[in-house]
Amino acid sequence: MNGALFRHTWRAQGLKLSVVSIALAVWGFLLPVVYARFGSQFRAVFDSGILPAQFARLGAGDIFSVPGAIALGLIHPICIILTSVFSVGFSAAAIAGERQRGTLEVALARPIARRIFYLTLLAATFGFVAVTVAALLTGSVTGAAFAGVIGEVPIRNVPLLWLNAVLLFGAFASIGLAASASFDRVAPSLGVTLGFVVLMYFFEILGSLWPAAEKLQPYSLFHYLKAKSILLGTTTREDDAMLAAVIVAAVAWALVVFPRRDLAAPS
Amino acid sequence: MPAITTIGLTKHYRTSALPFVRPAPPIRALEALDIDVREGEIFGFLGPNGSGKTTTIRLLLGYIHPTAGAGRVLGLDIVRDSVAIRRQTGYLPGGIALYDSLTGERLLDYLASLSGRPPIRRAELCDRFELPLRTLRRRVRDYSRGMRQKIGIIQALQHDPALAILDEPSEGLDPLMQRAFYEVLGTLRSEGRTIFFSSHVLSEVERVCDRVAIVRQGHLVAVEEIAGLLARRKRNVDVRLHGTPPRLEGVPGVSGIQITDGRLTCRVEGDMRPFLAAIAAAPIVDLTIEPAHLEDAFLEFYGGTGA
Repeated sequence: MNGALFRHTWRAQGLKLSVVSIALAVWGFLLPVVYARFGSQFRAVFDSGILPAQFARLGAGDIFSVPGAIALGLIHPICIILTSVFSVGFSAAAIAGERQRGTLEVALARPIARRIFYLTLLAATFGFVAVTVAALLTGSVTGAAFAGVIGEVPIRNVPLLWLNAVLLFGAFASIGLAASASFDRVAPSLGVTLGFVVLMYFFEILGSLWPAAEKLQPYSLFHYLKAKSILLGTTTREDDAMLAAVIVAAVAWALVVFPRRDLAAPS
Repeated sequence: MPAITTIGLTKHYRTSALPFVRPAPPIRALEALDIDVREGEIFGFLGPNGSGKTTTIRLLLGYIHPTAGAGRVLGLDIVRDSVAIRRQTGYLPGGIALYDSLTGERLLDYLASLSGRPPIRRAELCDRFELPLRTLRRRVRDYSRGMRQKIGIIQALQHDPALAILDEPSEGLDPLMQRAFYEVLGTLRSEGRTIFFSSHVLSEVERVCDRVAIVRQGHLVAVEEIAGLLARRKRNVDVRLHGTPPRLEGVPGVSGIQITDGRLTCRVEGDMRPFLAAIAAAPIVDLTIEPAHLEDAFLEFYGGTGA
């Protein structure tokens, strides 16, 4: 890893990282509060049968318990959009953006192997993902404490949830960075990564709302985010292994493709 | 040991093709380039746009991989030892792009830290290019084109590389700064540094380079010593007369004699003394001897060989 590149990347993303982390912390804070304030009303609505039962479990989350609310916060589109700032936006533009602007050749004129360049950006991206997920979960725990339901949060399992979420968004980031290392321009890199995430999300949500489509869920990486189960301590680490395997595959792709690519003069 | 050696260096770009569609023929960017750049010289690499200059530079620095042939920079293989090569070189890309959100000072610090070598020449270069600290503390996005080019040159040379590869370095510099740049090149040469200098401005190459290679359509057309080329080049002579013109037929080195209404024009190559002796007794009103530019010399020497 190259320390100068790592520091430069973090410094350049500092403001954006702060804004996204604060937004995620606020979002994480809200969900336990909403559960504490309206959870029983939501349960009454769903128990009455006015809304289909599937609506009560978006992804693996719900609003009838603190772990369910935290899980809902993680799979909710607002969270996906906010975390995608780094797991999709930054990763897809990290190399392709520099290539498109022409700054990649200035950086690579230095004695940095392309593999080191890529791995440094990968480390920086995982750092961003780790910080943003930590901000979300910190907000959730703080929100639970604020709402007086902290006793319902199994704190000892929160780090495991953090790891699971980091692996999920890290998998997207790895795919984004692999795409970024493969294209000369941001548009195709971003398009491939965003398309992948949207498809994964569609499979997961469709499967959770429509029983006939449940068989699509194992094909979605979101399916391996088991927030509620992890918090309740009822899951194994196989989901993490699956996400880690995706990360390894994406990293391997980038490590093979990027050093072998021709970087012709920017047009 | 030569600073740069290439043997049959070739680059063909494959054009992407859709499945089931016959692939387009490859683009032949560079064909069997053989050059030797000596240590401590300023080597000009001349050619029109699209001739293969930038492709050659990118091959030397490992941005692209050769289709055939081989190359060595400072004794290191351009494919296997690319990182080690870049440790000892400074590179100014043509039309350099910079990190606009950084200040000039921060940018130079960042690039120096990536180089892993202290920017020992920066102060001297900033002084020569008239870039005071208050200017360096402005963001790059606020810089003019000329200032960006100065920063580009400084980032390439600030760590005092053994070899500097400069792609169109004087582009965007005003005449004063061009002169400062030529002085910097002179200093580097006097200290034994090697400069590989790509340009399409012949007068610039004539002024600063020791030798020059010409590429055209991916092929090496010629490699010449500038001094030899200049010595062989012809001079354009224009003589105004008030009386009978001198007889110049048969005078060594004189060609293209034309006489019209008291005006004699001709071209003189090599030693001027026979020509001066021949016109010494002529009733001359005015005399102009203008050295032909390098461009004319090249057109003359290589015009018929595809150059």
